[in-house]
Amino acid sequence: MTDMVKFSVPGKPQYVGTIRMAISSLAHSLGFDVEAIEDIKVAVSEACTNAVCHRSTINGEYEVFCELSKDRLVVSVVDKAGGYNPETYTEPCLDCPKEGGLGIYIIKALMDEVDIFTEVGIGTRIQMVKYIGELPR
Amino acid sequence: MTLQIQRSFDQEKGRWNITPKGDVDISTAPVLRKALDEAYGEAKANVVLHFDQLNYMDSTGLGVIIGAYGRMKEGGNDIILQNPRDNIKKLLRITNLDRLLCPELCE
Repeated sequence: MTDMVKFSVPGKPQYVGTIRMAISSLAHSLGFDVEAIEDIKVAVSEACTNAVCHRSTINGEYEVFCELSKDRLVVSVVDKAGGYNPETYTEPCLDCPKEGGLGIYIIKALMDEVDIFTEVGIGTRIQMVKYIGELPR
Repeated sequence: MTLQIQRSFDQEKGRWNITPKGDVDISTAPVLRKALDEAYGEAKANVVLHFDQLNYMDSTGLGVIIGAYGRMKEGGNDIILQNPRDNIKKLLRITNLDRLLCPELCE
């Protein structure tokens, strides 16, 4: 059985921590160990930070979808901030690292599966999977 | 999420001791940037960041520290992280910033 938990989040920095705490609680309830929970917290925060930094309007919202299964947690962070061209994109946010792509790099290092869908004019979806225990073969 | 920062200048060793407590993320990273900028503006010296009480940091905090590192290197100074917790050690390791910012992890 899979449960789905959804959040609709104002694109403001102060709510990234709220989502981090909520995801941490969900991951704990699924039985992830401490290290995996920390990985999930950082990865989801990075994705939310991307959504906040890339939002096109000051009141833009983004959504966080969490699929809870007995063997995995799937988190998708979806914004409608217009997407970007990965070839030409540079971080516009003062608080983002100058080394472009560090956030995405960190997400990929910490999660078991990561897919990024971005379309210019529409938005970006970062989907991340973490398995409980051994990775499925 | 909160971030509190204590800073003091060690006259004997001629360096800043800066201790952030709490979480560094997109909402609190500007507080860390301001503390580093103000300290370095007051006295151009090496900076030791004591991370014993820092619970959480992500790329926003790394970005602030990388920025400060670049400005301080231009002035001939260093910035060093001490005693990061396991979650932050892992972040430093996967980004290869441990060698640059936290040599104690590579000993």
